Amino acid sequence: MDADPQANAWFMWAAYSVAAVILVGYGVSLWRRTRTVGRSGGRAVGG
Amino acid sequence: MTASTEGAERVIRRGLGLMLAGFAALAAVYLVALRFTPTERFQGLPQKIFYVHVPAAWCALLAFSLVGVGSILYLWLRDPRLDLFAESAAETGIVFSLVMLTTGPLWGKPIWGTYWTWDARLTFTLLLFFLFLGYRALRSAMHDPAERARYSAVVGILGMVLVPFVHLTVYLFPTLHPQPVVLKPSTPSLPGVMLRTLFLSLGSFTILLLGFLVTRYGLGREAEARGGSDGR
Repeated sequence: MDADPQANAWFMWAAYSVAAVILVGYGVSLWRRTRTVGRSGGRAVGG
Repeated sequence: MTASTEGAERVIRRGLGLMLAGFAALAAVYLVALRFTPTERFQGLPQKIFYVHVPAAWCALLAFSLVGVGSILYLWLRDPRLDLFAESAAETGIVFSLVMLTTGPLWGKPIWGTYWTWDARLTFTLLLFFLFLGYRALRSAMHDPAERARYSAVVGILGMVLVPFVHLTVYLFPTLHPQPVVLKPSTPSLPGVMLRTLFLSLGSFTILLLGFLVTRYGLGREAEARGGSDGR
């Protein structure tokens, strides 16, 4: 039987949102580290 | 500004450029996957999670393989840059693993009826994720750079050994997880339009992976140049 195309759409939107938040969040954190590393003499890069 | 700092900043700039290109490509993937790729007949809209879940898994396993390669080369050549490369790949791999491990259950629930099941593929993937969290913890706990690099290289190589095993679990054990539709001996079992979206997504995620990796590596290089080997 064919699926109702709109059924469970919530899961799709949740997955795409979570993926975007994680990837953009990490990208922004890296970009912020490039801003701080120069000012702090290299002590701001976590790891 | 020293030559090594300038070199590191050049690497960071390249990394940020790649990252930007990766995000632009990712936005295109979202548009193509959500707007222009047909909805699968039996699974409905949740099947579209495929276009982020599979590329995230590909990037995670690729990054963890790179940790292993960097670690082997470090143990052979003892060049600290290889250790830094492995460290950067591990951090990047953890990020993509997080995407894989969150989008997978969101796809599993509407299709399998459960967010999680302890079958071989899912369990080994989670184990690999924890192994690299351990890798990060190990690095944070050790202060002598040479010792830290040596011990973490061993853990990194062990992680890489698990990667092909994770891929093969769907053949070796009974599992709910579907078998590969592209990385398999026969031709891909996916309609052309879906395959094109998948390849677009795989390419975009890979560019993003390179952007993260190069930027993180450049940051480590700059930290070392400015603050010594403990700088990162």
